[in-house]
Amino acid sequence: MQRKTETITFTILPDNILHIECAPNTIMTLDEGKESTRIGGELVNHQPLPMLCDLTNVVRMTHDCRQHFAGPEHAKIFSKCALIIRSPIAKIIGNFFLGANRPLRPTRLFTDCEEGLKWLKKQ
Amino acid sequence: MRIDIDNSYLAKNPETKSVSFQDSENSKRLGDILDMIGRIAALDFTAVLNPSSKNDVVDAIAVGLNMLSEELNSNVVEKTKLDEVNCKLERFAHTTAHDLKSPLNSIVGLVTILEIALKPDKDSEVHSCLLKIRETTTQMKDLISGILDYSKIAGDEIQKEKIDLNEIIFEVSNLDGILSRAKIEIIDILPTILFNRASMVQVIRNLLDNAVKYSDKKMCLITVRVKEMCDHYQVSISDNGPGIALENQKRIFELFTKVNLSKPDSQGIGLATVRNILETEEEKIWVESSLGEGTVFTFTIKK
Repeated sequence: MQRKTETITFTILPDNILHIECAPNTIMTLDEGKESTRIGGELVNHQPLPMLCDLTNVVRMTHDCRQHFAGPEHAKIFSKCALIIRSPIAKIIGNFFLGANRPLRPTRLFTDCEEGLKWLKKQ
Repeated sequence: MRIDIDNSYLAKNPETKSVSFQDSENSKRLGDILDMIGRIAALDFTAVLNPSSKNDVVDAIAVGLNMLSEELNSNVVEKTKLDEVNCKLERFAHTTAHDLKSPLNSIVGLVTILEIALKPDKDSEVHSCLLKIRETTTQMKDLISGILDYSKIAGDEIQKEKIDLNEIIFEVSNLDGILSRAKIEIIDILPTILFNRASMVQVIRNLLDNAVKYSDKKMCLITVRVKEMCDHYQVSISDNGPGIALENQKRIFELFTKVNLSKPDSQGIGLATVRNILETEEEKIWVESSLGEGTVFTFTIKK
C-alpha cells in the first residue's frame, strides 16, 4: 500500500511498518507535517504502527512542525519510530527533535535502515 | 591576511582558483555563522541563516543554529508569559488576602461582643464554641498575614539600606519573645550588609521562629555563624531540633508545604517567603540536616 504527496512517499512495508521517505531538499512546514499525519493516519487505518522515517533528504523542519511531530496528534499514528539520518542536516534535525521536542512515543536515531527495522520489529 | 597569486600560475593551475573561491565562500558562510552565534548570545533570536544547497556540515551547523534560535525564542516567549501570569496571580493573592482582613477583623470583634454579652460559663458549650471560633480566626489571620508577606515582595520596589545583622537578630529575638524559649549564640562577628531592612527582619524572624516552633528539646539552642567569601557572606542559622528528612529538604521551601503535620498552626508560608525574598535579591538559601541532629539554614548576602 502506498500514497504519495509532492514531497513524501508513504508505504506500508510487508512487516506492517509504516515507511516514510522524503524527496530531496524537502522543507517540512507545519502544513506539510499535518498533511503527513492525516495521510499516515488514513494509511494505518488509525491503528498505530511502528514507523521508519527517513529524514536524510530533509533540509529544514520548522519549529511548529517539530512540535507537531512530537505532539499527541501525530503520536496517534505510530507506536515507535526509527528516524534514519544519513546526512549532516538530517542528523542535526533528528538530534534536535529528540532533545528539544521530546516525542511522546519511543523514538531512536539510526544511520542504517536495517538497524532501524530490526529495532522496530523488537517487541 | 591577503595572498596575491600570479595570474600565469593560475592559468597553469586552474584548480588553485577554484580552491581559492571555495575558501572565500566558506569564509563567508563561517562568518555568517559567527554573526549568528553572536546574535543568539545577545538574546536576539530574529536572525535566520540561509543554508546553501550543498547539504554539507556547514549547512548542518547553520540549520542547527536556526533551530536553536527558534527553540530559545520559544522558551523566552513562554517564560515571559509565565512571569506575567505569576505576577498577576501574586497581585490577585495580595488583593484577596487584603480584602479578607477587614471581614475577619469584624468576626473577631463580634466574637468579643458575644463573649461580653453572653458571659458564658467556662464549662458551657457556648464558651467552647466561641473559643473555637477565636482559634480558627487567629489561624486564618496568620494565613492571611503570611500570604500578604509572601506576595508583597514581588509588588514592592525594594529600598536597600545599610543594616547591622547583629541589630536585626537582637531586635527579632527580643520583640518576638524568642529569647524566652531559646538560647541564641552568635559565634562570629556579624557584618553590616546592604539590604531592605523589613525584608531581612522577615528572613531572620522566619528562620528563628521555625527553629523554636519545631524544637523537640527543653531548651532550643540556636547558633548563628558567618563565613566571609570573596564577594559575599554565608550566614548560617543552626538549631538542635529534630532535623528534616532528606526527602523533605527540597519541599520545605515550596509555598503551602507542611512537612511537620504535628504543628497545626504552621501555614507553610514562612520558608517560601524567605526564599522568595532572597531569590528576588539574587541570593541563595539552602538547608543541611539529618534526622535527630538539628538543621542548618544557610543564605548568602552580597558584600
